[in-house]
Amino acid sequence: MGAKIQRLAEVDRIIHEPARLMVLALLAAVKQADFRYLHQSTRLTKGNLSVHLSKLEEAGYIAIEKTFRGKYPLTLCRLTERGRGALNDYRKTIRAAL
Amino acid sequence: MHNSSSLTGASDPNAVARRLVQRAYNRDGLPEIAVGLMFLLLSGFIYAQVALPRDSMGFKSAVLAFALLPLPLFLGSGWVLQWLRRRFLIERVGYVEYKPMGRRQIGFGIALAALLALALFGIAAWASHPDRWLLAGTGLLGGGLIAWFGRLPRFILGGVVMAATGAFLAFAGVSLGIGFTILYGFQGLVTLVSGGIVFLRLIRQPVETGE
Repeated sequence: MGAKIQRLAEVDRIIHEPARLMVLALLAAVKQADFRYLHQSTRLTKGNLSVHLSKLEEAGYIAIEKTFRGKYPLTLCRLTERGRGALNDYRKTIRAAL
Repeated sequence: MHNSSSLTGASDPNAVARRLVQRAYNRDGLPEIAVGLMFLLLSGFIYAQVALPRDSMGFKSAVLAFALLPLPLFLGSGWVLQWLRRRFLIERVGYVEYKPMGRRQIGFGIALAALLALALFGIAAWASHPDRWLLAGTGLLGGGLIAWFGRLPRFILGGVVMAATGAFLAFAGVSLGIGFTILYGFQGLVTLVSGGIVFLRLIRQPVETGE
């Protein structure tokens, strides 16, 4: 039990933050989504979401592509393989410990 | 709007994702409008089979349409919804590409449909009042599926309404054709109105610009 609970200390802190976990979980369930979809689904403020997306991109967990659909600017986000692996590891760690 | 500090208790990312994607998918009410229209169409086909003479062209067309149209309409509705959202609603609901349905989900759907068909066949063959059981069973199963797949309060309410309507029609002793016409027609109207209200509320919200 002690060893299991101690594994919580190894949890990935980038993912452990609830807002980033929500973004990663959402992106894991779809192929890709734009900023507005994530903004409306998570109900985070735009500034807050933007900061969290940048941190996830820096960690290599998501890829962000800025593009246009007609006149509409699209900031497309998708989970990378590294992000998917990190999310799976996070889930295993939490499940094993709790 | 809230910031990240208020978001807690998210230990199962899959459950969080399912709930959020589900909520986002139904945010504009379009899926309900599509389902409502399909229910009304089914109701119309069934009523045509009840009301028209058996040897008329209308009756034969209704039988054919009832047998052949629901599956393509159901499969095509996903594509139509996606097109409508990307063409007209992208500034309101955002852009998302969903993952294609997995083999497990398709297998589960086929197994569920086969099980329901077997159950209906069993009821029709062995029950003492098959018409009543079919109406009550369809209401209960349909309502259960709506509530299970929708998971949102308005879908659960819609499911309860369908189950109650099926039970009421079974006790009222109406014929099978009229019973199904009322069951699907009423459920179609309820679903259409529910989806319409959600859609109108979305359209009335001001569009936020910038990211």
